[in-house]
Amino acid sequence: MSAAPETVERQEQLQGIGCSRKRKEDPRFIQGKGLYVDDVKLPGMLCGEVVRSPFAHAKIVSINKEKALALPGVHAVITAEDLKPLGLHWMPTLAGDTQAVLADEKVCFQMQEVAMVIADDRYIAADGAELVEVEYEQLPALVDPHKAMDANAPIIREDLVGKDEAGQGKRTHNNHIFTWDVGDKDATDRAFEKAEVTVREEILNPRVHPSPMETCGCVASFDKVNGSLTVHITSQAPHIVRTVVTLLSGIPESKVRIISPDIGGGFGNKVGVYPGYVCAIVSSIVLGRPVKWIESRIDNLSSTAFARDYHGVGELAADKDGRITALRFHALADHGAFNAHAQPTKWPAGLFSICTGSYDIPVAYARVDGVYTNKAPGGVAYRCSFRVTEAVYLIERMIDVLAQKLDIDKAEIRRRNFIRADQFPYQSALGWEYDSGNYAPALEKVLEACDYEGLRKEQAEKRARGELMGIGLCTFTEIVGAGPSKACDVLGVGMFDSCEIRVHPTGSAIARMGTITQGQGHETTYAQIIATELGLSSDDIQIEEGDTDTAPYGLGTYGSRSTPVGGAATAMAARTIRAKAQKIAAHLLEVSPEDVEWDVDRFHVKGNPDAAKTMKEVAWAAYNNVPEGMEMGLESVNYYDPPNFTYPFGIYLCVVDIDRHTGETSVRRFYALDDCGTRINPMIIDGQIHGGLNEAFAVAMGQLISFDEDGNLQGNTLMDYFIPTFVETPHWETDYTVTPSPHHPLGAKGVAESPHVGGIPCFSNAVVDAFAHKGVTHIDMPHTAFNVWKTIHELGLDS
Amino acid sequence: MQVTINKVFPLDGSVSDAWSLLENIEQVASCMPGAEITEAVDENNFKGTVKVKIGPMHVAFKGDIAVQEINPSEHQIHLIAKGQDSKGTSSASMDLTASVRSGESGASELTGDADVTVDGKLANFGGRMMTQVADQILGQFAENFSSKLGASAGSEDSAQTESGPAPQVQEINGLKFAWQALIGFIKSFFKSKT
Repeated sequence: MSAAPETVERQEQLQGIGCSRKRKEDPRFIQGKGLYVDDVKLPGMLCGEVVRSPFAHAKIVSINKEKALALPGVHAVITAEDLKPLGLHWMPTLAGDTQAVLADEKVCFQMQEVAMVIADDRYIAADGAELVEVEYEQLPALVDPHKAMDANAPIIREDLVGKDEAGQGKRTHNNHIFTWDVGDKDATDRAFEKAEVTVREEILNPRVHPSPMETCGCVASFDKVNGSLTVHITSQAPHIVRTVVTLLSGIPESKVRIISPDIGGGFGNKVGVYPGYVCAIVSSIVLGRPVKWIESRIDNLSSTAFARDYHGVGELAADKDGRITALRFHALADHGAFNAHAQPTKWPAGLFSICTGSYDIPVAYARVDGVYTNKAPGGVAYRCSFRVTEAVYLIERMIDVLAQKLDIDKAEIRRRNFIRADQFPYQSALGWEYDSGNYAPALEKVLEACDYEGLRKEQAEKRARGELMGIGLCTFTEIVGAGPSKACDVLGVGMFDSCEIRVHPTGSAIARMGTITQGQGHETTYAQIIATELGLSSDDIQIEEGDTDTAPYGLGTYGSRSTPVGGAATAMAARTIRAKAQKIAAHLLEVSPEDVEWDVDRFHVKGNPDAAKTMKEVAWAAYNNVPEGMEMGLESVNYYDPPNFTYPFGIYLCVVDIDRHTGETSVRRFYALDDCGTRINPMIIDGQIHGGLNEAFAVAMGQLISFDEDGNLQGNTLMDYFIPTFVETPHWETDYTVTPSPHHPLGAKGVAESPHVGGIPCFSNAVVDAFAHKGVTHIDMPHTAFNVWKTIHELGLDS
Repeated sequence: MQVTINKVFPLDGSVSDAWSLLENIEQVASCMPGAEITEAVDENNFKGTVKVKIGPMHVAFKGDIAVQEINPSEHQIHLIAKGQDSKGTSSASMDLTASVRSGESGASELTGDADVTVDGKLANFGGRMMTQVADQILGQFAENFSSKLGASAGSEDSAQTESGPAPQVQEINGLKFAWQALIGFIKSFFKSKT
């Protein structure tokens, strides 16, 4: 009765939650009408180009600006010496360390920022940068984090000598940054001693780079007359940037306006504050003219925000049936020359402690040691929540290692260890409370869809013929939606997020958000949430983000937090409006508010659907006919502090065929089942999963930021750095189950990062599985043809 | 980044003639394409420059050459050269042991064993490029050395030389090297297969 055709039609007209509504932002993007930072051109604007260090570790003997300054069109060359009087030659990082804005007496990584040349245009600035002469005295460079901890290793951060902490607790060595650990070490050690079976494996997450299509950049414009600063910037967190700018410059936050316009992909690369931004801002303040700085592709790959570089050791203890009894993980985290790790302030290893995964593990201990090396600073979450990819990679690889050791099928060992549906909310050994999950049925769904039994039979036959075929499984749990302010903050600001909705008299609405889209489709999906909550068509709802002068304060978009936090704020703000609307509707219908009920897009008198007022009618009344004593208008702002993280999960299966002569790995099939709770826009979810799987494929099969032993970058251009195009990318099959989050107002969990987090170990598991019958338990990424061939060759399988 | 190069080049002249050329650093430097000795600090220490152009990159190294050992009885010289680009974009060093010895069919041979370390922009080209470029530089050096030694003997067997002996301070031209490096790279495929 309730789903009358007329009701369904009204619901469909709203294009609300669950509708595969086409992306509202696409018409402007596909017509080239987006507005990116580099499209911003202001009158009198100058351009900055960074002079970078050619060496990984060197003392700066002298910097000669004369020739550069003599070049017509060059306005200034700034160095650390120029920033020093302003106290801006060093800046604080998100991780409690300090980072040189421009190299102060020494350089600590190749391509480090040494000077900035400001000129009339980009070409002159680049020519000017070539003319800046810097004399260096080279020092021995450290590239390997293990060697960085040697007793007599060269000291990278002389500014920290004698200091026993670098903002993250006690450090034990000049190149040591922090030790972070969690769990019951003694109980874990005892469980290992008593265990029937143990496995151990050294597992590397190599250094990679998120490499968004648009590089980082900004246009800083200081107005000397009224003392205000406007910065257009490629930032995933514009409000935090505003706070940082105020803390650094002393300009009141009310006179700093940060605008993140259209952003061409972030993937964690655009979370931090980079020296280029600071130099452009300082130059604009000093010169009184707008200054633009845009990274080249080489600059971006070389200097701003790498990801991973986790050198892990995984250990599992189990009984003979493969039931895991304890987990012990350690990682040596290479943070580069400065600890510019992207993290909630109190989490030096991010959310790495999600490493017990989807499994019911009674006791666990995890430890991460951060170290300095002569490499670019960072450690950002590349399409994942903080350090979750590293954690999931370790557990999903280790459970396969255990399966091989016990000769148990890789699907079966997962079944035996899964957290059961009746255990939720589940308290993990490392302190998390998983909100909801239902792993076992999802696994069976995937195994059946892919005919897992059939695949294993085929593999056995192929092995008998000497052919290489691998089947990879990954049954992961993510932790996203940072986060509850009792646990998470950035520079002291709690990690809430916000939404402000105004319903106009004629029944359209605008919502302003503290998050910022970089391709996630916020303009489309947030409008769908409001459409369902308020009964207004999503086409009549504008979403605006990224301008700190108009948007409510928010922590931005990364770590899949927009839907879990911003989406929740949207629902809550809409519900406040609906509650007020209910009173107005009751007033118009001349009944008491308790006597009206909500019906898709209207309120009607209980038991009399014909006595109704639509939300549009209520909106009009909100501006001329409200109950006595009520304020006019129909708007609300909500700052949502989530009670918990959300825990999306997925079951992935990958089949690879490997050419035993060339090492070429072809992905025959990739099946991805995701459970992100309530699905707001299934088409956008599919798009996000395709994108995330592409990036997982990129990382697993080819991406690597590599260095020679002296810290020289080897391959910091797209000639070497692997970006899969549609030529290389396999076909993706997607599927889903729905296990809503019990604490989220909509039951939604976030999805964009799951495919990356779960995809990478799935590829590795498939490649290793192809060699499992030869006793191979682990092969480090990337699984390029050459690397795979080396394994084949060592095993003598190519003869 | 470090590359190790071991080379043997046939020479036109006798061992003693070749040795008298090899022990004269300034003469040797003049055989190096793009190189020039600018100052003799003392008997064993020199200052010099090397200019290299690879694609859009001009690199002018200024540096020091220190002769470690001259061994007339072995006809062997050991030297270390270190330099930095004046713009500070790259640095290079070379630890070279070179000698002459009698070769097949009565003529002499020049042998060179070098560890070349390159840092900075040049090193970003990676080992596959560096080895090829270093090979070509040394090949051209040997050619110049041989023709200086042979003087009037001509160089019919070196078909790649377009215009006789190189002028003293010719820039090392990266494009030409790149072409020769490509040929070398392709040849190396066939070598490893046979």
